[in-house]
Amino acid sequence: MSVGFIGAGQLAFALARGFTAAGVLAAHKITASSPDTDLPTVSGLRKMGVNFTVSNKDTVKSSDVLFLAVKPPIIPFILEEVGPDIEARHIVVSCAAGVTISSIEKKLSTFCPTPKVIRCMTNTPVIVREGATVYATGTHADVEDGKLVEQLMASVGFCTEVEEDLIDAVTGLSGSGPAYAFTALDALADGGVKMGLPRRLAVRLGAQALLGAAKMLLESEQHPGQLKDNVCSPGGATIHALHFLESGGFRSLLINAVEASCIRTRELQHLADQEKISPAAIKKTLLDKVKLESPSLSVASASKVSLFTNKSPSSKND
Amino acid sequence: MEAVELRVGFVGAGRMAGGLARGLLRAGKVPASSILASAPSDKNLDAWRESGCRTTHCNLEVLQESTLVFLATKPHILPGVLQEIRPAVGSHHIVVSLVAGVTLQTLQRLLPAGTKVLRLMPNLPCVVQAGAMVFARGSGAGDGEAALLKSLLSSCGLCEEVPESYINIHTGLSGSGVAYVYLFAEALAEGAVKMGMPGSLASRIAAQTLLGAAKMMLESGEHPAKLRGDVCTPGGTTIHALHQLEKGALRATVMNAVEAATNRARDMAED
Repeated sequence: MSVGFIGAGQLAFALARGFTAAGVLAAHKITASSPDTDLPTVSGLRKMGVNFTVSNKDTVKSSDVLFLAVKPPIIPFILEEVGPDIEARHIVVSCAAGVTISSIEKKLSTFCPTPKVIRCMTNTPVIVREGATVYATGTHADVEDGKLVEQLMASVGFCTEVEEDLIDAVTGLSGSGPAYAFTALDALADGGVKMGLPRRLAVRLGAQALLGAAKMLLESEQHPGQLKDNVCSPGGATIHALHFLESGGFRSLLINAVEASCIRTRELQHLADQEKISPAAIKKTLLDKVKLESPSLSVASASKVSLFTNKSPSSKND
Repeated sequence: MEAVELRVGFVGAGRMAGGLARGLLRAGKVPASSILASAPSDKNLDAWRESGCRTTHCNLEVLQESTLVFLATKPHILPGVLQEIRPAVGSHHIVVSLVAGVTLQTLQRLLPAGTKVLRLMPNLPCVVQAGAMVFARGSGAGDGEAALLKSLLSSCGLCEEVPESYINIHTGLSGSGVAYVYLFAEALAEGAVKMGMPGSLASRIAAQTLLGAAKMMLESGEHPAKLRGDVCTPGGTTIHALHQLEKGALRATVMNAVEAATNRARDMAED
């Protein structure tokens, strides 16, 4: 079986790394393509032994399972481009947040009568084979197709099938989840440093604490509330700390975060469905975004990067 | 000592004493004729007489007639009362103080050495036999006295022995806690009224909801977080509502309340 990635960014890199580390796929059976050869992930993929090309069509031709690993607004244009090369044998797996199976099937059906489409939502820890992935199967994808994708994704973490209407919620929870965790870990490390720990040790201990807690929860029958209680000796340090968390509305912040991510996903989907973005604008915003991610520019931390408008004060018009 | 032979006395005949007595009577633990209560005036004593208990205005009589004696006066009255009854206190007596803020140390200091003293912190719903009580034993009280008290008072609700240091926490949690529940019930009902339900119906339903939830918690032994999760269907009404509660930091506020009441109890305690 050969696997292709349209897009050679973080997601393609993470999945390729995960699959090869898990031994389910040899690197040379993987192809990735992108017009942008300057991405740091491109050299990473090359080093892995993945076949890299600038031709999306080449990727399609050499793959059985084709991952669409580009940003959501790009998907329609990709589908237009590679549609003619999609055959009945292909399993098209879209990992794009907010992009529905029906929108993909609709685009592809002009080229191929029964395209096999699977939509999945995964997350970056696939890179260390601790991903969280859900998938929903499209109209023409068989049970075996789903199982094949499930097997692939299960090699890099947890994977289960869901109804498509749950995928936005999954995005909010485990799609964005690692970012919440990184933020928490950064802050925990700050706490450690404030109380006297060297930074590296603080980061290490914080991460291990979360990793251990997560592992305990996954392996336990008990409710997280019970596990929390087990740590809180009466009048002790932990319960004092938890009181602070509760006072700050810790729980509601997390609920808000999951909700915001899920709602935003739906908004993006809605905008994408309307296909209001011209190809020229896509190219511009993609380039601008790449510039914004460049470490040589300083961006005010409060400014939001929007894929649809160019609000950054420091980006150049091209 | 057989509970049936037990003669129970109450020094002070107010709400708490009345609640405990009612519990003992309802559960058939002690016949009314074995209960003697004293109070300065008849104001409180009428209700006792109506239940068949004996009453008096003489505290010493309670000590002379009873083996198990509950001290249920207001805190500022107690030292005077202890001085008064001290001569009549013997080694056969079991003295149980319900007086808030008066420590075992104080009680033992004001009573003869070696007296079997215990300290009880009940809460208001004892009057309907759904109380939460904790007690601590003094140095003169042994397993027998503790077992007797626990067995008798289980007729009024939950009764557990604890170290004395937990008593102030119990005040914050359950003594005052009853008021937190009333506040919550009122707010629930008010929400319902806002949404169009008549107040008295809303109030009764609010109370029943709290009762039912508490009963499930006690009977299932399950963690409240799990019970909460069981009620929350994905994307449903409950989780939406809970989110509102979390946004309002309800948990932290409740923790603050328990902490404030406990600290206040500690401050108010003598010695």
